Amino acid sequence: MTATQTTSAPVATTRRLTTAKAMSEGIATEMATNPEVFYLGEDVGAYGGIFGSTGGLLEQFGPKRVIDTPISETAFIGLAIGAATEGMRPIAELMFADFMGVCFDQIYNHMAKIHFESGGAVKVPMVLTTAVGGGYSDAAQHSQCLWGLFAHVPGLKVVVPSTPYDAKGLMISAIRDDNPVVYMFHKGVMGLPWMAKNARATEVVPEGAYEVPIGKARIARPGTDCTVVTISLSVHHSLDVADRLAEAGVADAEVIDLRSLVPLDRDAIWDSVSRTGRLVVVDEDYLSFGMSGEIVATITDRDPSVLRAPVQRVAVPDVPIPYAHGLEHAILPNASRIEAAIRAVMEA
Amino acid sequence: MDVVFPTMSQENPLAEGVVATWFVRDGEQVAAGQLIAEVQVDKVSKEIPAPTAGTVHLHAPEEAVVVQGTVIASVD
Repeated sequence: MTATQTTSAPVATTRRLTTAKAMSEGIATEMATNPEVFYLGEDVGAYGGIFGSTGGLLEQFGPKRVIDTPISETAFIGLAIGAATEGMRPIAELMFADFMGVCFDQIYNHMAKIHFESGGAVKVPMVLTTAVGGGYSDAAQHSQCLWGLFAHVPGLKVVVPSTPYDAKGLMISAIRDDNPVVYMFHKGVMGLPWMAKNARATEVVPEGAYEVPIGKARIARPGTDCTVVTISLSVHHSLDVADRLAEAGVADAEVIDLRSLVPLDRDAIWDSVSRTGRLVVVDEDYLSFGMSGEIVATITDRDPSVLRAPVQRVAVPDVPIPYAHGLEHAILPNASRIEAAIRAVMEA
Repeated sequence: MDVVFPTMSQENPLAEGVVATWFVRDGEQVAAGQLIAEVQVDKVSKEIPAPTAGTVHLHAPEEAVVVQGTVIASVD
């Protein structure tokens, strides 16, 4: 048992957790009250998940409910789908979203479609957790976000928390949801000691169960001059830039953390952009055919005349993610690229 | 009561580690067993619970590099 799972309750208003610990506490909260919930994946037991998603769960719930699997994603994700159709609530972890290539038939043809093809008679109430994102020289096959691919497939909900509070609340909502939910956690928001320090990756997290609604965006920073729509680690970069540019008198930017991609909170995007008239989208996924274009279409489908400047999209250009740190830094949506985009919409 | 950086490397008693995260602030009230810190030697991390209830005093800032066995906080 780790200190995170101790039952002697510290004061709820001051207790702080990293995103990783908040995520595993969300899982533990549901496992403790619902015997149908179990977790399986590679290195999720004794190791606690290579990015800390399941720390302490094996000690608390034992190897029958926290299951280390062989390296066969098709087999164990298929196992989870089968268990879900029989009424259990499995959580399967795909170690890196990049690995979806070996098991995507299970995900997009079965997990996503069984409830549709059965006319709603068979539900698949499972969660697929997966680590995403780069910035630490893990190269082209271990650094992708790929949420655009998962969000593209009808039948899957997709949530992407950026804070400890949302990581726990969205996990509990995902487990309780009767639909299959893909839960994507960026390694850079987890508060891991060996990743780049992120001050917002540790915050006060309430004890006990609470839900963060799936499909509801959050205004991470209110502002009046322009709107930055973003998700995951880019929320933190955008907040840093927005605070700095507000102090410098350049712009008072509103930052919207989408939190979910499916369902997409189009009303929140519309409400903000129709007020500010200026839109920047920051997306750590690839530029073309993805989230950033969908955000822009949310505005242009309703009324493009609200835009007072051309939209700026800060995303990964359509190239594999480089290993060399300098090259990787250049293609990620870093602070300097976000700042340039905000200045561009303000000067247009 | 002192909170010391635990001995995580047995083969190198003078190994240095990092105070990776403070989960409490200086002067905060803590409960016995409450998670107060996470420390790290190489890529291995360890959670540090409060040894007793009381007021916590932090003796090393986050990111500080210290030798194993160093007192990093106290609770009274």
